[in-house]
Formats: sequence, C-alpha cells, structure tokens
Amino acid sequence: MVDRLEQEYEGKVLFKRLNPEEDAEASSIMAKYNLTSIPTFMFVNRDGSVAETLIGAAEESRLRQSLDALK
Amino acid sequence: MNSTTKIVVWAAVAVLAGIIAVLAMSPKGASVENVDAAGLAGLAGDGVRVIDVRTAGEFEAGHVPGAENVPLDQLANALAGWDTSQPLAVYCATGARSTEAVTTLTRQGFTKIYHFNAGMVAWDGEVERGAVAVAQAFKPTETPVMYEFFTEW
Repeated sequence: MVDRLEQEYEGKVLFKRLNPEEDAEASSIMAKYNLTSIPTFMFVNRDGSVAETLIGAAEESRLRQSLDALK
Repeated sequence: MNSTTKIVVWAAVAVLAGIIAVLAMSPKGASVENVDAAGLAGLAGDGVRVIDVRTAGEFEAGHVPGAENVPLDQLANALAGWDTSQPLAVYCATGARSTEAVTTLTRQGFTKIYHFNAGMVAWDGEVERGAVAVAQAFKPTETPVMYEFFTEW
C-alpha cells in the first residue's frame, strides 16, 4: 500500500522508509521525538516542521489525508 | 481607567479564566502543579523534561537552560508518542500559552505536569540562547517528506 502511494506521490512527497534496528537516522529521530511504537508515520513539511505523527498502522485514506495536507 | 490599565485588567482576566478552565478540564489522575522559577530550576536539575511553548524566535532569544522548544501550535502533533507517565514542565512568556499547553497535555493523558505559570518574564536564572528546537529538527527540503518507521517482523 505504501509502495503504491510512493509511486503516486512521486515528485510531490519524498518517502523515507527507515528501520530503526538498522538505520542510525531512524533511531536518532525516534529518540528525539520520544517515538516508541512501530510502525510510526511522520509527516514533515518543506520548512522542516513536523505536520503530523501517526502512531501504529494507518489506513490508506488516512495516509492520503496527511500527505495531501503537507506544505 | 485608561486604555493601558484596561488591557492589563483584561489580560489578567483572560489568564485567570484559562487557569480555571484548565482546572475544570483536568482529567482525574492528572496532577498540575504550579512552580516558581526556583521550583523549575530544581525540576530541570532533577532531569524533568522542560518544554518551552513559545515561538522558535522567542526561544532562540533566550530560554531556560536545557528546555526544548515545542511551539504551542505544534504541541499536539509533537507529543504523539511521548510517554504520558513522564513528568513534564511547561512554560511560555507570561503563562497564557503554557496554560493552553497544560490543557492539551491533560487532555492527552499526561499525569504529572509542572506549570511555570509566571513564565519567562519571571525567570531569574541563567539564560541559554540559540536554537535547539525539537520542532525544527528537520532541515528544510525541496519537497515534503513522509517518514515510515518500520521493522521486519
């Protein structure tokens, strides 16, 4: 499902899919934001501000809503 | 009563109304304790997480050492995933925005909140300057970014 969204939003939103067990950037971000659950989706605007964080599995329609709201 | 006095009186009424609203809406089990500057300094020294809900610009100009900047308008999103049992101390400039922050935190189930309700104007300790803003941990990019944190089960 995320693969499909990644293709659909190509050029509009950059998708970064990170495994905190293997990726230092992921574990660093999660520690900084006190994120402890997997999966977690974090939406970041162009200016670097966090628009939204979704904890746990999310439905496609909910992800679309957050993706469309990004600035 | 001149216009300046009226503004001050109305501001005081607004802050009082906010405090009353926070007290009225605090869920059972939530503890909100007002602290003064010395109290906040002690909490920070004890390792309690201190949240500054002012804007990034205000934060950069000077903040309580060790405080994290989460502007009020970003608080609800930023605290998703925070441990609600972890004590937090919050402050702003004069107590108005931090009162709103306390409301947000109690609604989200945080159980121990310290409120430096007099705000930065009453802070008489050391001041740290510069941006250490949690909310600005990401660098600006050409396109928005969606991070998905996952693991292989």
